[in-house]
Amino acid sequence: MAGSEAAQVRLEPDGGMTVNLGPQPPSTHGVLRLMVQLDGEYVRSCEPVIGYLHRGLERMFEARPYRQLVPFTDRLDYLASLNCNLAMSQAIERLGSVAVPERAQYIRVILCELNRLASHLVFFGTFAQDVGATTAFLYAFRERERILDLLEAMTGARLTYNWIRPGGVPADLPEGFAEGVLSFVRDLLKELPLYDRLLTNNPIFRMRTEGVGVISRDVAVAFGASGPVARGSGLSYDIRKTEPYEVYDRLDFDVPVYDEGDCMARYRVRMDEMCQSARILEQCFRDLPEGDIATKMPKVFRPPAGDAYSRTESPRGELSVYMRSDGSPNPQRVHVRAPSFVHLSMLPCLLRGVKLADVIAILGSLDTVLGEVDR
Amino acid sequence: MRRKHGFWIGFVSVFRGLGVTLLNLVGRRKVTVQYPLERPKVSPRYRGLFYLPFDEEAGRLKCVGCTLCAQACPTKVISMKKLGSGKHAGVSEFTMDLGRCMFCNLCIEACPFDAIHMGPEYELASYNRNASVFTIVDLAPGGAEAVRRNNATIEAAIKAENETGGSERKGHIAEVKLVVPPKTGGQEA
Repeated sequence: MAGSEAAQVRLEPDGGMTVNLGPQPPSTHGVLRLMVQLDGEYVRSCEPVIGYLHRGLERMFEARPYRQLVPFTDRLDYLASLNCNLAMSQAIERLGSVAVPERAQYIRVILCELNRLASHLVFFGTFAQDVGATTAFLYAFRERERILDLLEAMTGARLTYNWIRPGGVPADLPEGFAEGVLSFVRDLLKELPLYDRLLTNNPIFRMRTEGVGVISRDVAVAFGASGPVARGSGLSYDIRKTEPYEVYDRLDFDVPVYDEGDCMARYRVRMDEMCQSARILEQCFRDLPEGDIATKMPKVFRPPAGDAYSRTESPRGELSVYMRSDGSPNPQRVHVRAPSFVHLSMLPCLLRGVKLADVIAILGSLDTVLGEVDR
Repeated sequence: MRRKHGFWIGFVSVFRGLGVTLLNLVGRRKVTVQYPLERPKVSPRYRGLFYLPFDEEAGRLKCVGCTLCAQACPTKVISMKKLGSGKHAGVSEFTMDLGRCMFCNLCIEACPFDAIHMGPEYELASYNRNASVFTIVDLAPGGAEAVRRNNATIEAAIKAENETGGSERKGHIAEVKLVVPPKTGGQEA
């Protein structure tokens, strides 16, 4: 096997070993390939190889009129596609100075927070499985299934929703949706303490996560980390608070922050965020106003020449869309700032000197989605 | 001493975790569906296989062949052949290559006649790429018979109009031609 590029394991002349993790194993969450140089059981260096899921989405955005862009954003972060829809729709609205009705803004926040819950539940399940706990995965997916059923009743799809459009949302909440969400939220809040008993307080899980993959506050700032990764490193930074969009400035919620910077801190941030999302959902249904759900957009939308930048807090971090218009029906340039890509770039620095088994735990705690990295 | 303490914490935690498992074992109803034997019920808004609604009263498909859906489609799934023109316009062919389709709902929102819908059918996988190309016979409820009635109704209507003194130009059966969806951008990605 020695000397072959395609080999899974290669022995180095100095006694080291190169292990090729990926691009297909389930533990790298998608098609990520990690070339790990080992010295015994310790990682000497690690090189992430990306691009296996590259579809040229940014180029495809440029070749289509504005109204056809949103379905493609479903394929960015496919675990939280509504949050991607929102980032793109906001950029288009800012470009054309389109106002969104208040009811539509509330519905958007409801959809995004439901999707955030679904995404964090996937994280909970897969991260537990990464460090060797199997049962939590089944419980997390049982709860997620209820969110998917609710979103299916609302949007008709179970993964690629495409239900936040420039100007608003295409249809109003279905009958019984509010009751369904609120009863789910109540059940979830009862369920979360059980998850703590099952997993968070388990000594094996704590040994696998506490003090592992520590990202200091300075490193997080230097790499431009955002979302739960930044908040797990003591950085109180949430776009929903620092630069509120939609109706987040009217909602009362806390931003959980942990100072440790290890896998456990990032895990705890996400678990606490689920409680906050539940709070946001309850407030949204309390305050939901009557009114229009969309501003009518022209059939051929030609925004004036200029550019727009929309920042949103996706479950993974700061998801932003930069868009430039030259006055034609198609955008001139679209750029997506994907949080997973930024967090993945920290990996070579994070993995130096850790044990091979911790590579999977650290990668899992960053919660990257490769659809967003490769675009 | 510390080691002993750690052992007991680990020992107790096993049973705490198993307690959660036990709670779920006895206290919860089943949530799984034995898929090929049981079929999940989908929501009314479910975005499954397309269909072209048939207007029983008029005896024809609702579609008038205006190509708005084809223009709204980001991946150019839809192509159609128009039948007739003016107020009797319809389609004689309507082809969707669902291998490219994203099921994004944009074509349905674009239709001003409510003439294309998504149904609850979700088992669309096939062993053959050509099997994902759906023609008007697959999409119309009632299949070939519905398409035959659609064509007959439209042709009869045009013929009747021609005979009752409609001008030659207005009522003739239009040259059947494939309507190619317009290019959406300069260079295609």
